[in-house]
Amino acid sequence: MEGFCSGLHRSPHKGFSVEFKEHRQYVRGDEIRSIDWKVFGKTDRLYIREYEEETNLRCTILLDRSGSMGYCGSRNGAISKHDYAVRTAACLAYLMLQQQDSVGLVTFDTKVRRYIPPRSRATHLRAILDTLGRSKPGRETELGRVFHELVPKIHRRGLLIILSDLFGDVEELLKSLAHFRHAKHEIIVFQIWDPDELEFPFRQWTRFESLETPGNRRLVDPAHLRNAYLENLRLFREQLTAGCYRHRIDLVPMTTDRPYAETLASYLAMRRRLK
Amino acid sequence: MTLLNGILAIGAAAAAIPLLIHLLNRSRFRTVPWGAMHLLDSVIRTNNRRIRLEQFLLLLVRCAIPAMLAFCLARPVLTGWQALPGEVPSSTVLLLDNSYSMDARSNGKTHFEDAVDQAATIADQLDRRSDIAAIATGGSPTPLFDSPVFDPRMMTGRLQRLSGGFGANAAVDSLTSGLGVLGGMANARRHLVFLSDFQAADWQPLSGDGAARLRAQLDAMPIRPNLTLIQVGDEVRDNMSVDSIEFSKTALGVGQDLRLRVNLRNHGPRSYPVARVLLRLDGKPDSASQVALDPDSAAQALFTCRFDQAGSHVVEVEVEVDDRLATDNVFAASVTVLKQIDVLLVDGDPSSEPLKGETDFLAVALTPYTFGRVKLSDLLQTRTVATRHFAEDAIQEARVVVLANVAKLSDDQVSLLTDYVRDGGSLLIFLGNKIDMAWYNRALRSGQAALLPMAILSREGDSPEQRQGVRIVAQHFDHPALAVFNDRANGNLADAEIWNWYRLGTPEQATTSSPEETGPDTAMVMARLETGDPLIVEQPFGAGTVVLMATACDADWSTLPLQPVFLPLAQQVITTLATQVMPSRNLETGEPLVAVLPSESAGLPLSLTAPDGTRHTVRPVARGTQSVVQFDRTNRPGVYTLSGADADSIHFVAQAPRSESDLKPLSSEEMSRLAEELGAEHVGSADEFLELERTRRHGREIWRLLLAAVLFLMVAELFLQQRFARVRP
Repeated sequence: MEGFCSGLHRSPHKGFSVEFKEHRQYVRGDEIRSIDWKVFGKTDRLYIREYEEETNLRCTILLDRSGSMGYCGSRNGAISKHDYAVRTAACLAYLMLQQQDSVGLVTFDTKVRRYIPPRSRATHLRAILDTLGRSKPGRETELGRVFHELVPKIHRRGLLIILSDLFGDVEELLKSLAHFRHAKHEIIVFQIWDPDELEFPFRQWTRFESLETPGNRRLVDPAHLRNAYLENLRLFREQLTAGCYRHRIDLVPMTTDRPYAETLASYLAMRRRLK
Repeated sequence: MTLLNGILAIGAAAAAIPLLIHLLNRSRFRTVPWGAMHLLDSVIRTNNRRIRLEQFLLLLVRCAIPAMLAFCLARPVLTGWQALPGEVPSSTVLLLDNSYSMDARSNGKTHFEDAVDQAATIADQLDRRSDIAAIATGGSPTPLFDSPVFDPRMMTGRLQRLSGGFGANAAVDSLTSGLGVLGGMANARRHLVFLSDFQAADWQPLSGDGAARLRAQLDAMPIRPNLTLIQVGDEVRDNMSVDSIEFSKTALGVGQDLRLRVNLRNHGPRSYPVARVLLRLDGKPDSASQVALDPDSAAQALFTCRFDQAGSHVVEVEVEVDDRLATDNVFAASVTVLKQIDVLLVDGDPSSEPLKGETDFLAVALTPYTFGRVKLSDLLQTRTVATRHFAEDAIQEARVVVLANVAKLSDDQVSLLTDYVRDGGSLLIFLGNKIDMAWYNRALRSGQAALLPMAILSREGDSPEQRQGVRIVAQHFDHPALAVFNDRANGNLADAEIWNWYRLGTPEQATTSSPEETGPDTAMVMARLETGDPLIVEQPFGAGTVVLMATACDADWSTLPLQPVFLPLAQQVITTLATQVMPSRNLETGEPLVAVLPSESAGLPLSLTAPDGTRHTVRPVARGTQSVVQFDRTNRPGVYTLSGADADSIHFVAQAPRSESDLKPLSSEEMSRLAEELGAEHVGSADEFLELERTRRHGREIWRLLLAAVLFLMVAELFLQQRFARVRP
C-alpha cells in the first residue's frame, strides 16, 4: 500500500535512498561497496549499511468545476462547494509535494478543461495553484464520460483524488470509477456537500433555478417536498456508498461548514489506524 | 334556513384570507440557484399531483375554518320542517296527571310537584297572544278553567293551587277531552301536552287499539295538534299499600263485634320484616298489629272492633312504613252501625201453637238472643202480623217485609207494598200451600206491581207422606247473602231436604215487568235445587229489592227450618236485604255519592265536607217516601261527610283503585312504542318540550354543530399540515 503523506507510508522495497534504515552483518554475496568501513574501523567487523527506498507516488487530483459545485449556502460566511474543493485540492497538493510525491491536477466539467501531469518538483506547486486559482464553476457535468476519457491519459498507476459532489447518473459514475480501478489506480473520493443540500431547510415558497441547466426552474412550497427530497437524497447516498465499497474506493463526505483540514486530518488518522 | 345574527355571516368573507395568504406566498417567493436539481426534479415529478392535492386540501380546510366560524356566529337555523313562520301564537292544552301515584317522591319532591313546575315553565314561556288550558287527569278529566286563558300568570297561579292524590289517571278520557278543548281554541298552532309519570298500570291498556283510536281522532282533527308526552320524576318502585278492608258483616249493630281483614301489598323490591299496621276508628287509634312483607308480596292483618253508638263511622287502617308513596299507606272505609233492623213478618198461616205458625221458625232464626233470653242484643227486631193487618202503619218502620205463605193481598196492600219496594224497601216472599198461584202471577207480575222476580209455574214435589225430598245444590254462591256458605264451616245448605216447592219460570220468562223499573234480565237465581229448579231468586225493583223463595219457611215443606244452617241463612238474607238497599257509602272515586234521607229532609240545606276541607251545600230531593242527596264530584279520594243542622253526620269514603300503587313506569321501549302509536313526541322535561317547540316553530339551531365542525377543522388542519409538511424546528 502506498501513501501520500510523509512518514505515514513506508515502502516494502528496500533500495537506494538517502534515508538510512539499519546495519546488518555482512554475509557472503553482499556488495563490497555496501560495507560501512567506518564501523569496520571501530569494531573490526563487517557491517552492511541498508537504506530505505521511498515510494515514487503519483497522485492526480481530479477537481469537478461543474455548475452544481458553484452552490453557495444561505448561511453567513458560507463558501461555495467549488471554492471548498479548490482549497482542499491546494492543501493536498502542498502536502504531497512536501514529501516529494508527484502531484498532478485535472479540472473538468463536461470534459477535461485542464490537465497538469504529476511532477514532484517543488516549483510544480506554483503551476497547480495558478490553475486552481483560475478555476471557476462552469455549467453541466458528465462525470462518467469524463472519467472514462481520463483513464488512458493517466498511464501509470497511482492515486486518484476526486473532489466533486458526484451529482449525476450514479450507475455511469460507478462504472467509470470501476474503470479507474481496473487500471490499478487507488481512488479516494471527497464528496463535497453544502449543508443545505443535506437538510433542505427551506420554508417559504422558493424558485429553485438549476446551476447547470439554464431555464430549468421550479417554483415549489419546499415544506411539502422536504420528506420526499430527503428520502431521495438518502437513496442517492446509499447507492454511492454501496458502489464505492464494492470497488474499494474511499468515499469521504465533506460539508462546506466544516474546516477541510479537520476533515482531512480525521480521514488520514482513520487510514493510519486501518493500517 | 335562516340566520339569527345575519350580519355576522359577512364574516364568512374571511374565508378568502387563507387564499390570499396562499397567493401572496406564491408571489413573494425567493429564488435559490440550486445544484442538486437531479434530486429535486425526480421528487417534483413523482409527487407533483399529490402535492397539488394536499395543498388544495389544506387550503380548503383553512378557508373553511373562518367561513364556518362566521356561519356559526350567525346562528343558522334549519327550517326544513317548519310548518308556520316563527312567532306565531299557539294554543296549548296541558294534561296534568294528578293521580295519587304522582305523590311518589324522587329528587326531593313529589312527581306531582315536578309536573306542576314543568307545566308552569311551559305556561311562562307562552307569548301573550297564545291561549292555554289545563286539565287534571286524576280520576276523571277535570278542567282547571271553564275556558282557555290568555294570561300565563293566571295559569301558573292556578297550577300552584292544584293538588294531587286523585284516582287513577284517566288517560284516554283526558286525551279525548283535551282534543275537544283544543278544537275550540283560538290559534291554528296547537299543542297537547301530557305530563305524567307514565305508570304502566295506567298506560299499558292504552297501547294498541286504544292508541290507534286516539291517533285516528288526532288525525281527523281539522288542524292536527302536536301531542307531546313529558315524563316526570325518576323511576321509583319502593311502595307498600293498604289495598282493601274486608268486613265480616254486611250489617252491624251497636256493640256487635266487627272483624276486619286488611289486605296489604308490597309492590316494590324492598323487604319489610316488620311493618306496623294501625287501626283507627273515627280518627282515634284503636289497635295495632304487625306484618312482614317480602318484595312483591301480599299479607293480611286482622282486627276486631265494635262501636258503642249507632250511626255512620269511619274505619281507617294505616301501615307505618317509610316508602316512596305515602298516600296509599292509609285505607279508609265507612261503616254504618245500625241500632236495629225492623223486620215485618206477614204470616199467611198463623197458629196459636208454638212453632206451628208460618213465621215462627223465621222469627226465632232472626232474633235468637231474644228467644234464647241471652244478654246479647239482636240486630234484627221482628214484628209479626196477619195478612189482614198488613197496612201502612205496620210497614212504616220496617226495613224488610217478609210475606210468608200469604194467599193473596188486597189491591191496597199490593199498592202499598209496591210503593214500599220502589222507594227502597226490601221484600222477601216465601211461598207455601196457602198461596193463590194464579193471583200471584196476575197481581204481582203485571203492570206497575211487577214485584215477582219469576212466574210461579207449578207446584212440585211429593206428598208429605212420601217424603222423597230433593236438596239444594251446594255450589259456589256468588250472591253476597249466600257467600258465607262457600265456607262449609258456616253450614251446608245441602243438608236440608225440600219436599215441596214451586217451579219458577226462567229469568227470560220472568221479565215481563216494565223495563224502567226492573231492567231486562235482572232476576238472579241465588240458589237452585238438584232438579235444576230455582229455589231463591232475587230481582231489584225500583230502588228496592225482592227475593222470592220457592218453598215455605216452616217445617211443612222442608227440613230447612230444622237445620242449624237456617239461622245464618235467614240472618244473611235479611241483613243483606236490609243493607243493600242503602246506597253504598264506600265508593270508588268519581262514583256519585248518594244518601237516602227521611222525606222531611227534602229541600233542607245540608253541608257536605270534602276530603280537602271544602264545604258544599246540597239539598235533598224528595223521592217517594224518602228524600235523596246526590253529589257527583267525588274525584278526590278520602272521607266525605254529610251533616245537617239537627241530624247525625253520614260519612262516605271514596277510594281510588289501588292499581295506582304499583309505581312501575312504562319501559323505554314501551314508551317509545306508545309515542309512536299516538304519533307523539316523548321528552323528559318542559325545557326539552320548549326546545322542541322552538325547533318546530323556528327550525333547529345548528351553531353547536358548526362550532364542533370548526374545532374539528382546526384539528384537521394541524394534523394535515403536520402530515403533509412535517416541518421540524
